[in-house]
Amino acid sequence: MMAKAVNLSPIEKIKKESNSLRGTITESLRDEITGAIIDEDQAVIKFHGMYQQDDRDVREERAAKKLDRLYTFMIRLRLPGGFLTPEQWIATHNIAGENSTGIIKITTRQTLQLHGLIKSKIKPTIRAFNEAKLDSIATCGDINRNVVCSSHPKQSPIHSEVFAYADKISELLMPKTKAYYEIWLDKEKILDKKEEEDPLYQDRYLPRKFKIAIAIPPNNDVDVFANDIGLIAIIENEKLLGFNIAVGGGLSATHGNNATYPRLATLIGFCGSEEQTLKAVYETLTIQRDFGNRTDRKLARLKYTLDEFGVEWFKQELENRIGFKLEQPREYKFNERSDYYGWHQNQEGLWYYTLFVENGRVLDTENVKLKSALLEIAKTGFANFRFTCNQNVILSDINLKHKDQIEKLLQQFGVIKHTEDTSRIRKNSMACVALNTCPLALAEGQRYLPSLISKIEPLLEKYQLSEQDIIIRMTGCPNGCARPYVAEIGLVGTAFGKYNMHIGGDHQGERLNKLFKTNLDEVTILLELDKLFSEFNKLRIGEERFGDFTLREFNRLVG
Amino acid sequence: MLEEIKLKSLNALVEGLSQEELIWLNGYMAGLVKSSQSEVKSISSIAEKITILFGTETGNSKKLATAFAAKSRKIGLTAKLSSMDQYKQSDLEKEEILLVIISTHGDGEPPAAAKKFYDHLQSNQLNLSKLKYSVLALGDTAYPLFCKAGEDMDAKLSSFGAVSLHVLQKCDVDYELLANEWFDLIVEKLSLKRSAEIKLPIVSTGRLRKVYDGKISSKVNLNGNGSLKETFHIEIEADELQYEPGDSIGIVPENPAVKVKSIIKHTGVIATDTILIKDEEFSIEDALTKNLNIFFLAERVVKKYASIVNQEIPSIRMDLLDLIKIYPPKNAVQFKEILAVLEPIAPRLYSISSSLTAHTREVHITVARNCFQLDQELRHGLCSNYLSQFEEGASLKFYVHRNLQFKLPSADKDIIMIGPGTGVAPFRAFIEDRANTGIGKSWLFFGDQHFATDFLYQTEWQGYLASGVLTKMNVAFSRDQQEKIYVQHKMLYHAVELYNWVMDGAYVFVCGAKNPMSVDVEMALLKILESVGSLSAEEAQNLLNQLSAEGRYVKDVY
Repeated sequence: MMAKAVNLSPIEKIKKESNSLRGTITESLRDEITGAIIDEDQAVIKFHGMYQQDDRDVREERAAKKLDRLYTFMIRLRLPGGFLTPEQWIATHNIAGENSTGIIKITTRQTLQLHGLIKSKIKPTIRAFNEAKLDSIATCGDINRNVVCSSHPKQSPIHSEVFAYADKISELLMPKTKAYYEIWLDKEKILDKKEEEDPLYQDRYLPRKFKIAIAIPPNNDVDVFANDIGLIAIIENEKLLGFNIAVGGGLSATHGNNATYPRLATLIGFCGSEEQTLKAVYETLTIQRDFGNRTDRKLARLKYTLDEFGVEWFKQELENRIGFKLEQPREYKFNERSDYYGWHQNQEGLWYYTLFVENGRVLDTENVKLKSALLEIAKTGFANFRFTCNQNVILSDINLKHKDQIEKLLQQFGVIKHTEDTSRIRKNSMACVALNTCPLALAEGQRYLPSLISKIEPLLEKYQLSEQDIIIRMTGCPNGCARPYVAEIGLVGTAFGKYNMHIGGDHQGERLNKLFKTNLDEVTILLELDKLFSEFNKLRIGEERFGDFTLREFNRLVG
Repeated sequence: MLEEIKLKSLNALVEGLSQEELIWLNGYMAGLVKSSQSEVKSISSIAEKITILFGTETGNSKKLATAFAAKSRKIGLTAKLSSMDQYKQSDLEKEEILLVIISTHGDGEPPAAAKKFYDHLQSNQLNLSKLKYSVLALGDTAYPLFCKAGEDMDAKLSSFGAVSLHVLQKCDVDYELLANEWFDLIVEKLSLKRSAEIKLPIVSTGRLRKVYDGKISSKVNLNGNGSLKETFHIEIEADELQYEPGDSIGIVPENPAVKVKSIIKHTGVIATDTILIKDEEFSIEDALTKNLNIFFLAERVVKKYASIVNQEIPSIRMDLLDLIKIYPPKNAVQFKEILAVLEPIAPRLYSISSSLTAHTREVHITVARNCFQLDQELRHGLCSNYLSQFEEGASLKFYVHRNLQFKLPSADKDIIMIGPGTGVAPFRAFIEDRANTGIGKSWLFFGDQHFATDFLYQTEWQGYLASGVLTKMNVAFSRDQQEKIYVQHKMLYHAVELYNWVMDGAYVFVCGAKNPMSVDVEMALLKILESVGSLSAEEAQNLLNQLSAEGRYVKDVY
């Protein structure tokens, strides 16, 4: 690792010199003339849960108007396991209306983000969140991000026990710096730097982002293998025995850079106690901190460290650091990745309603007044809010005596009809934000997929496949935010209006798909899908899944 | 001893003169010398003291007053010169000879700097029977209430018993010659006690104002998508353009064709029939389109309308079309009578937002499309609407309206510019000019509703800040947070630095809305002088007055 210190990436220097993630953010905020922040601060502010973006749609128009680019900020909350109280939802609703675009976006990693905050609104936003006991610490940046966890409490009687791990891990891996409180909440400056000493992140933080997910089989709704660390809860006779640990998952890749690739996490062992599990998680981060690639950010995720040094080496290094041997992974079985739409009851008798939110965008449309509905429901105080990695909402922990009232509101705002009428393919779809705010986007994502789905639906109907659960995901670039590489149909943007099509992933997210066709436009996407659906309809064996079929027939199909 | 040019003319004159002629000339010259000496003597024996009082908006009255004061001193008169806003009102009853020079703006209003003095006369009973006076009124015949402020002033002084030295002298935009004649006549009267009244023509005939034929080369709405405002940056090309930063251009808008057609339809008048306006013949349609104001008619016009149609009409301002609909004229003949009492469309002035040094042959203006609700109907300001509908390439007539007050000081001086909204226009011109010359520091305060959409000329300011042409800029966006933040709040936030700039000799310019902006800004300035400079309220006011008198605190507000 010493040899690598020669050509550190520029971001490494910024982190190290950031004075515990303070950078020059305060100066950046003080500059009234631009909506942007100082370049170096753009790397620093990510650790505070924000990205600087600009509306790419209006760049030219604004230049003609002598207006600077419309710089805005995306802020992402830290919600371990994706849980909010109704009061917190109301607060978020109000903040979104006052300070951002008004749309509340449920992310693919179980949290909420707001877009379109101008610089002067950041501080009021964070303050308002803070009053609602919410923060955005470490939700972006080279650090452990929001910890996700299987969200539906009916999945297991010990759901809450597993769910609690999300919070514990999040707390364990929080940075020690008080910069967030100092900059955004005007808390007093730390005089004794020792208070901020960070044995985990030191002054280097991680080489790249770090994601952790916890899954409760048989549902892999969190896409556990797409994470740097995947924990799979092992439950026997309604008792949590511990977790299988998988490491080195990550989906991002770069077009034309063969050294980059999506990778699923490798199962390396089992931990039987909370103490052991947390230790293994913690030391996985220290290994990545010490051995991760800090010269090339495209090769800096844990997956590359793992492949460079070898899985065996990694396991050895981890056991050295944790001081105990990992046990053999236990048996488990995943068979789905879906949300349980509609009403369900858990073991304690509480009720849950999962509603469909297309691409996680909570807003009022002509068809369904989702945002109003959720606000009114939150106002009753009778339902908690849980978010799924499929970007949906679970109205949670509802007492039987309040169920009718919630049901009535859901009816009133058209939510039940919307959820029930939505096709299976749409419910199994996911897209990233992409244009117009994501700086990485090459093509459309969430703005385009809904209309494409509307054109795919008749094709499925044509081949009597409407009742099939086929997972389709789209991203505007190869970085994989909507996890297209573990979809049965993955569409990865290459240029405006052009997508690579991947097929052959499995239904439960344990297998990557394969690149099938490149640079397809809408017409050719639909043409290819028509052929695939037709073949699937004709040659499917028994209850074979679409993803399994396309893998089996891949060579013939790609013809 | 003589300048070369004078020497040349003298040589040319004496060349070829006979002996006799030369001797005669010698005697004539000696006589001239003697008579000017005796004139000096006679004047100083008559007039102990004359006071020249001016009320100025764009500096014309001040320029004249200053020149007259200098001329007076040269010929031996003791002349006191004062701006109306600096004048001690209690002195008025002690004055012996008072010359007033005052301009008129908008709908018959006095300049802002004359307001206090004007109000003092309106609301007090004074005894001025010992006072001899004359009023020189500057105005613009393009406006309906020509020289109204001067008329009011003259009437008031007369009603307090003051004796007129010379009848009220009104001047149009080509005022200089006439104003000098007026002054000379008064001097003559004071020195020779000539009793015969010489009348000067009240209004000059020739319009000396240069009207440019411009072409709109670019028009862009500066406000971003989603803004509640529309502010147009309009670039106009014209030949032989001459103006300076701080000047304005005047534009006479045309009335919208739909309204004109509707008026013609409702009255049954024949569009091609001709009428006379100021001795010029126009078709009725043309007159209604280009000459006569049909919107928001003044109460005095509504009154005349009422008497023509012989109906009771409440005296409130109304549009001609509404009057016609509610109180229709009997017939086309009666409507022609109404046309005769309509007032001209007044020109609208727009601060120039460009410098010729940056854009040769171009003048830029910054026009906010004025929207307002009237009787539950969305209405637009006539001229801003007229301009906002222009296409690129269209032609447009305009004239340059000089502002002698609102001028950049020499390049080494520091400037503080306070211009929210379209008030920022002249400061773009200032900074464009400074980009070529400047070494003095500059500080701009700007404000509007929203940062994201209403930051007028944002990228240009960023460029000037980066290159150092603009030293410092602070902005206030009123609607980006719960509490309203305006430029005056930003000034107060930077009080110490602002105070230091002023004390180090910075010139302070304010442009934009008179109310409440310029009032709030002035209060902020006073507060800064008081708090940072540890001054009493009175001392702060005196200091500000002094800055104003020195031309270091200048406003162009509307």
